[in-house]
Amino acid sequence: MRLMERYDAVVVGAGPAGSTFAKIAAEGGMEVLLLDKKKEIGSPVRCGEGIGDAWVSRVWPQGIPSACIGARISGAIVFAPNGKSLCIRASHTTGFVLERKIFDKYLAVEAAKAGAHVLARTMATSLIKEDGRFTGMRLKHMEEEFEVKTDLIVSAEGMEARIAREAGFQSLATLYDVDTCVEYEMADLPCEDLIELYFGSIAPRGYAWVFPKGNQLANVGIGVGGLTGANPKKLLDSFIEKNERFRKAEVIEVKGGVISVGEPVKEKVKDNLMVIGTAAHLVDPTHGGGIGLAMESGIIAGRVAVKAFQKKDFSKKHLMHYEMAWDAREGNKLEKRLLLRKVLEKLNDDDYSNIIGEISADDLQKVLDGNYKSVVAKVLLKHPSLLKVLSALL
Amino acid sequence: MSEIEKFRLDERKCIYCGGCVSVCPVLAITLEETRIICDQKKCTRCRACEKVCPLKAITII
Repeated sequence: MRLMERYDAVVVGAGPAGSTFAKIAAEGGMEVLLLDKKKEIGSPVRCGEGIGDAWVSRVWPQGIPSACIGARISGAIVFAPNGKSLCIRASHTTGFVLERKIFDKYLAVEAAKAGAHVLARTMATSLIKEDGRFTGMRLKHMEEEFEVKTDLIVSAEGMEARIAREAGFQSLATLYDVDTCVEYEMADLPCEDLIELYFGSIAPRGYAWVFPKGNQLANVGIGVGGLTGANPKKLLDSFIEKNERFRKAEVIEVKGGVISVGEPVKEKVKDNLMVIGTAAHLVDPTHGGGIGLAMESGIIAGRVAVKAFQKKDFSKKHLMHYEMAWDAREGNKLEKRLLLRKVLEKLNDDDYSNIIGEISADDLQKVLDGNYKSVVAKVLLKHPSLLKVLSALL
Repeated sequence: MSEIEKFRLDERKCIYCGGCVSVCPVLAITLEETRIICDQKKCTRCRACEKVCPLKAITII
């Protein structure tokens, strides 16, 4: 395989973060190498595949091609353990359930069209350090091994984050701050255009979901807290068995994975290094969604990288502008979401049923927007015993 | 000295999601397509991978 001896940037991982970064950097005139260790970019899928419309407008304003979209969603329905539900529905599209295999490939193609070099089935095996600086990487493409030199190494490796961790970033996920998930893609399962979320002991410290993908397909999954000891596959099988509506549904694909629901990695840059997307734990702690956050980090980091390239300065001091811009934009929001997760994980089935029975669709929207206080006050009026658990949100 | 087997994978259950790689504090585990490789020498038997594996395909012995 033909590779150059040096690149301005080498990006490890061609998911939403890596491909978005590579596109921006290549458009800025950089020679970029975008690697993915898998033979097929986008596969296997480890994800529920959902993304909100607001995210799409922000991170991909040109719009997502319809081939990448399984279904358009117009709201969400939340189920309490006692069967009560709460629905937020809009008259317009509020989100998408993607076909990640096609979407990720599309993003890598966009990066290639912008001028990035893309090479699948290529693993970054280790970093090269010279005179105390990271100057390149050892790569393996099938049976061939290479060394490439670069000014900038970008880890967009997702949860595994091996290169990021080898470089000293704190990308190790602790059991407390991960959810472990199993998901079936099911056919012959009619759904409305709503994402469905089921809370309570059905999925300890997590939730069960049904995300419609169109054509009577849906992702049906369960995520549980890494320390709970719960078995997500057993719980998912029992969720499906107990629910009449799945009787005719067929399992088309088995997916799974482990996702960070903790706080973002604080240090996201070093001299000649950046960490973006899920490798930096840029994931919403309440639901484990990270496609939009990944792409946003790719955009912000990509713009900073292009400036670094223009000034020929890839020092931590300069790359730090990515970390600062990120923290200013998403830092507080993610912190509030983590606070919410840590409150939700203390609720038992009765608490969930009481809360979902008490609040309105508008209240749920307020919670999703980060405005907890008035909703908590309303719940506490009826269920004062929840004060101890909910006070953190006041 | 022969390597002691600490990490055992049930390949019938594994879906190669890489969850075990993400929580291994000593970077002992590597995922390449449908191969999970554990460096038995590095493994400290902390059992993080065993606990987190969504398909319960890992046994630490």
